[in-house]
Amino acid sequence: MGVKAQQSNDPIIEYILEVIAENQSEDFDYTELVERLNFYRRNPLNLNKASRDELQELVFLNPLQISNLLDHIAVNGKLIDVLELQSIDGFDLQTIRTLLNFSNINSPTGFENFSWANLRKEGRSDLIVRYGRILEEQAGFNIPEESGRSRYLGTPDRVFTRYRFNYLNNLQFSLNMDKDAGEQFWTTQNRTLGPDFVSASLYVKDVSRFKKIVLGDFSLQFGQGLTLWSGLSFGKGADLFSIAKQDLGLRPYTSINEFSFFRGFATQINFGKFDFTPFISFRRLDAGSSLNAATNLSEITSLQISGLHRTPNELANKNRIGQLVLGGNLQYNHRKLSVGLTAYQSNYSENFAPGNAVYNQFEFTGRKLTNLGANYSYTVNNIYLFGELAHSVNSGIAFINGAIASLTPQISALVFHRNYQKDYYSYFNQGISEGSLAFNERGFFGGLQFKSGKKYEFNVYTDLFKFPWLRFRVDAPSVGHELFSQFTYTPKRTTKFILRYRIEEKQQNISGANTAINTLETVRRQNYRFEIQYALNKSFSLRNRAEVTQFKRESTQNNYGLLLYQDVLYNPLSSKLSGNARIAYFNTEGFDTRIYAYENDVLYGFSIPGFQNKGFRFYLNGRYTLKRGIDFWLKYSFTHYTDLETIGSGLDQIDGNLRSEIRAQIRYQF
Amino acid sequence: MIKFYTILIFILCSKTVFTQTLNGPRIQAMGNAGVAIQDIWTLKNNAAGITSLENITFALAYENRFSVKELSTKSAAIAIPLKKYTLGASFQSYGSPVYQELKSGLSFAKSFGENFSTALTLNYHQLSIQNYGNTNTFSFQVGFQYQIFKNFWIAAHAANPNKSQYTETESNTLPALYQIGASYTFSDKLLLTSEVEQVLNGKLDFKTGLEYKIAPFLALRGGTSVNTFQQFGGFGILYQKINLDFAISSHPVLGYSPQIAVGYAF
Repeated sequence: MGVKAQQSNDPIIEYILEVIAENQSEDFDYTELVERLNFYRRNPLNLNKASRDELQELVFLNPLQISNLLDHIAVNGKLIDVLELQSIDGFDLQTIRTLLNFSNINSPTGFENFSWANLRKEGRSDLIVRYGRILEEQAGFNIPEESGRSRYLGTPDRVFTRYRFNYLNNLQFSLNMDKDAGEQFWTTQNRTLGPDFVSASLYVKDVSRFKKIVLGDFSLQFGQGLTLWSGLSFGKGADLFSIAKQDLGLRPYTSINEFSFFRGFATQINFGKFDFTPFISFRRLDAGSSLNAATNLSEITSLQISGLHRTPNELANKNRIGQLVLGGNLQYNHRKLSVGLTAYQSNYSENFAPGNAVYNQFEFTGRKLTNLGANYSYTVNNIYLFGELAHSVNSGIAFINGAIASLTPQISALVFHRNYQKDYYSYFNQGISEGSLAFNERGFFGGLQFKSGKKYEFNVYTDLFKFPWLRFRVDAPSVGHELFSQFTYTPKRTTKFILRYRIEEKQQNISGANTAINTLETVRRQNYRFEIQYALNKSFSLRNRAEVTQFKRESTQNNYGLLLYQDVLYNPLSSKLSGNARIAYFNTEGFDTRIYAYENDVLYGFSIPGFQNKGFRFYLNGRYTLKRGIDFWLKYSFTHYTDLETIGSGLDQIDGNLRSEIRAQIRYQF
Repeated sequence: MIKFYTILIFILCSKTVFTQTLNGPRIQAMGNAGVAIQDIWTLKNNAAGITSLENITFALAYENRFSVKELSTKSAAIAIPLKKYTLGASFQSYGSPVYQELKSGLSFAKSFGENFSTALTLNYHQLSIQNYGNTNTFSFQVGFQYQIFKNFWIAAHAANPNKSQYTETESNTLPALYQIGASYTFSDKLLLTSEVEQVLNGKLDFKTGLEYKIAPFLALRGGTSVNTFQQFGGFGILYQKINLDFAISSHPVLGYSPQIAVGYAF
């Protein structure tokens, strides 16, 4: 099984990923998650020795299941047979089946059999090189240097290199190197040489008291993400249980997002029921800055998180300021109780400039910020309670409290309340929120999940939120709400129907009003989705989707958007070749009715494009195994717009109505 | 200042004020989706729900709408099970001496076997506005509940279908309401309920809620209505023969309305 799993874009992982990615509208980078799941696919987790945060790394387990499993082992001793899992509350057959793909009950952990000879024998290397390019010329590449205008300095090629070395569960070295389209590969400007982004980490697990040691790039996730959370996190979505956050503590950072990580040293030390995680990080960030006329000092006006350094301007802002973060987390775990305290300080080499608009006047200014946080989780009977209180010293607080309850074997509920003050700041804040960051928001969320056997599943939630202070393009305190429902019918393992409806109402400034003072109007967005998945035979399966969005301001008529697609997936059990293809038709009345859809991609590549205007999209994505340990991927895609003569704007503009892209990737495992 | 807000709120929601009946905190906490529920407070919206009561039951409730004293409602209800049918009576007072609405109702409910029950309610409405005068009128309500299979009930109810009104001016019409809904009890612990409500010439609303018995003496409740979007929550305590229920509703603009009730079953 191990060899087989290494060779393909594992369908089990693809499936987990799709369920998660489908619910996010933004282009997240899921590399870290896929890598983590692929890792456990090859090196199964020992359930008898797994800690809470290791179990949480398997995203498909919900907090109640994890708590029940840990409690079962604490009370009854080690699992002797995997069949025992069926006797644990909350474990249905589907969950157990998925779980056993990533874990078992007797795999070795720790440096039990470590020796240098073993390191060479058991160690596995994994090298991936990916090349990508948009085939049409974009305006930014065709501006002569003499013109003095902004232009892309590098070539339109994107080259990504990824190297991993793993020794069982205990040692991992990661290296990522990325050059985005438009970036220069070799340049002496800004004293950078080689690819634009380089990230590396060395991760060691379970050396006596040291449960985790990371040298290099790392991420930290504690509590519900109000105080300190970097890297991947999920928002509100169809899977009710992924909304409440499951913190993983310290992890090596292996993603190619160029912003949300730490660089330095961190370790997790275990003292019985206590775990202590100190960390220190120094790195440089991209920022726009300007001169403060009063102090004659340079100040930060904005942090730039895209990680793109293509134009002279972007290059000038690259690594402009320094960020030093140091602090620690102390976690107490005992049976069903977990309590954590986090404290850290972030120092910047320049002051943050005060906000110049009314809506952002409470934002952080200064160069030093201290954050404190306390989080808890506790399981009582069939109810999992969780929460976090966060404070930014000398300014506001934020807190969240909630519960997940399994009301009957078929019905589970999630409720939580949140209150984030308008002057609460954290630069590593990913708390559950309607806005992009967890501040200036109050809300109450309630959701239910019905699961009747394997066949029927129904998810529904409502969320009511208030923004006590103004926001961007909202010139008054405002309110809004969201209702989401999804019905899934799975008559057979290979056949699935999904119906989804979502409505969201928010307030915004009245558009196009010619008055001195902006007033608010309600904006309503509705989504309808219908999807069918079915298998034709053992190798071929099909997937169809129809999705409609409806967008309305109080002052305007309904706008509509439509997306239809047909997928063909070819996944034979034992073949060197596999792949998938999609043809999609979209017709939307502009930006407000755009529709996002997850796409299959080369391994560790992700795309969730947003469709607007009118036209067709096609892609063909395939994998071929040359020989054992050597795989090759190729993806070709194009979007043909029927109502446009140029695509995009500014430096990205393409003359013509076709935008096509190619990605090729090779992997060598040794 | 309080007066000013009172009047402002009164004007803002005068339309909805007329449609408000106090449903009791148990039903309110479940999003007011009470048409298919069995409870003493169904006297207000589908009295067919009182036929399941085995003993004489009475209850008192108080609600402070949007936390404004002048918009408070007091209500009393009693149900008396007799051999072949159940009698109910309810009384409700809304407002302050400046503006006051009184509603008194008599209900006659009868069950046919274990699975079907129906009820008829006759109401007497009084409205008095200071320095303006008094007026009164009658209305009636009719409804039924039917158990399709064990623990699954469907129900329908109409209030004031004959559109009776206080005077001949149109703005004083009592609303005509139609509701259909269903409730299901999963195990002993969990009750789910939903209903669709149409106000004649008015809005359509969908409401849903649940009650979860976390312990034999303690129930937690929550619910939502869609139009207008509101969230509800509450709890109930049962101590021997005494019921204590509390509910709170949250309106996105007008704020919170707490409600409390105490009930006794002989």
